[in-house]
Amino acid sequence: MEVKLKGQFHRYLNRIGWAYVTPALVFYGLFMVYPVFYSLVMVTQKWRGFNRQFVGLGNFVRMAQDSIFWKALSHNFIFMAIQIPLMIFLALILATWLNTEIRRFRGVFRTIFFLPCVTSLVAYSVLFRILLQTNGLFNNLLKDLHLISEPIGWLTNGFWAKITIIIALTWRWTGYNMVFFLVGMQNIDSEIYEAAEVDGASRIRQFFSITLPLLTPVILFSAVTSTNGTMQLFDEPNILTWGGGPSNETMTVALYIYNQAFVLNSDLGYAATLSYVMVIIAALLAFVQLRLLGDKER
Amino acid sequence: MKRTHTISYFIIRLILLIGAFISIFPFIWMIIGTTQNPNDVVRGVLKPGNEFLSNWKKVNASYSVFTFFMNSFVIAFTTVAGGLVINGLAAFGFEKYRSRKREVFFNILLVSMILPQMAIVIPLFRQMAFFNLLNTRIAIILPSLVSVFIIFFLRQNFKMFPTEIMEAARVDGAGELSIFLRIVVPSMKATFASASIYLFLGQWNSYLWPLMTILSDAKKTLPIAMSSMMRAYTIEYGGLMILVCISTLPILVLFLTMQRQFVAGLLGSIK
Repeated sequence: MEVKLKGQFHRYLNRIGWAYVTPALVFYGLFMVYPVFYSLVMVTQKWRGFNRQFVGLGNFVRMAQDSIFWKALSHNFIFMAIQIPLMIFLALILATWLNTEIRRFRGVFRTIFFLPCVTSLVAYSVLFRILLQTNGLFNNLLKDLHLISEPIGWLTNGFWAKITIIIALTWRWTGYNMVFFLVGMQNIDSEIYEAAEVDGASRIRQFFSITLPLLTPVILFSAVTSTNGTMQLFDEPNILTWGGGPSNETMTVALYIYNQAFVLNSDLGYAATLSYVMVIIAALLAFVQLRLLGDKER
Repeated sequence: MKRTHTISYFIIRLILLIGAFISIFPFIWMIIGTTQNPNDVVRGVLKPGNEFLSNWKKVNASYSVFTFFMNSFVIAFTTVAGGLVINGLAAFGFEKYRSRKREVFFNILLVSMILPQMAIVIPLFRQMAFFNLLNTRIAIILPSLVSVFIIFFLRQNFKMFPTEIMEAARVDGAGELSIFLRIVVPSMKATFASASIYLFLGQWNSYLWPLMTILSDAKKTLPIAMSSMMRAYTIEYGGLMILVCISTLPILVLFLTMQRQFVAGLLGSIK
């Protein structure tokens, strides 16, 4: 009798469990799973507005020959290769200093460094766009300091526009990553450092032999999330450098997809194809990085 | 030896101060900018002007700042309310009513976290067009209600809630839903605050999806309004700075008053 009751109660709890997770699963199915599979259909179609036509693998052939797409992809990789190591390097230095050199005002510095990442991407892109105009504040400051004689085309020169994006991204995300690293550092047992101190290891030696190895999982985590974010880079090139300008020099894959769908051809099929390719690249990058992490852990 | 120590002591503090200044400068400058005429904003004059009122009047004459703010707020607020219910229940269901089948679904959710937003927005746009929901707030809210990250984050925190308390409440005759609403939720306010902040911030700052779905001025959110102001033939820089402030300052205040929950929400992912 009691066993039967228990079984009934178990089934009741199981039903409650399903009731709790069902709304989330339904919404997820509707607005995540279904679109992902529907885009598999779109990949085989050419769209004009909402009229479509079957083209088989035509979109992939078109992509292979689309020089702007490949250029945009190369920009994503350039931003990743330069900005992420730079940002992680800066964040590590700042976190180390805040952790070991500073006692008073540590919290204040942490708060201030963290501030940039709570602003909206659009708001800070707007601000940086105004600050970096050819006759804007940043150039005027550099001129006053006699660092440059001619204003730099932060937004108008292809090379400098890329630097602009890198500066902006670094401004926004360094503090965010620093907070991650700081928490990771504070979780390291201080006895390890004391032992190293006794053995006569210098601060720099301690950083490379203790801090860095123990922090590797956190660093790789932030590398994975940053890579994913840079792969999707959209707001900054759209607003800060004005639609990937000058002449597509800061065009990114996400922005190009948006342009294909809404600005240039309104070809949703081709846009869906490009986003599929982007997903595969993002997944591959995450996989490779996580494999690296797994190997280091072992 | 002592001397080099003091030199590095000062250099480190100097660099930290410069870094802090760079981090904070755009915020100071945006506030100064609201008081200046467009020319001074562009040239980056650092002295406050006295044109705040005229900037405010000008921007309100050509744009409906209050509508933008309300659109942003209503959309973000609804996302938080709906998101807390849906993700909270799901996380609680996954954690405290474990079953092998649901665990499979949970793992599928986790794996799909790597999918970038761009992967779904194109088909999602077509879907919203099909439902006739383009240019509505609902189209912006619906896809952002479920957040796998929030489900994961809440579940991690529910792990710490003792199951014995739930069993004791059952013995006392409490229903399952009231266990959740009256016992679990009140004891995890800080966790829900972190989740709310995360959801609010994500929606308040979102740009790509609203840019695709919003067509009319009356439905624009603050980020969309700012980006279309930047595209105007003559840019009202002073007014633009007011919009930048309106979209940034509430978040700053929220951050400074609830810093611990903010950071907990962001760090939940590395626990």
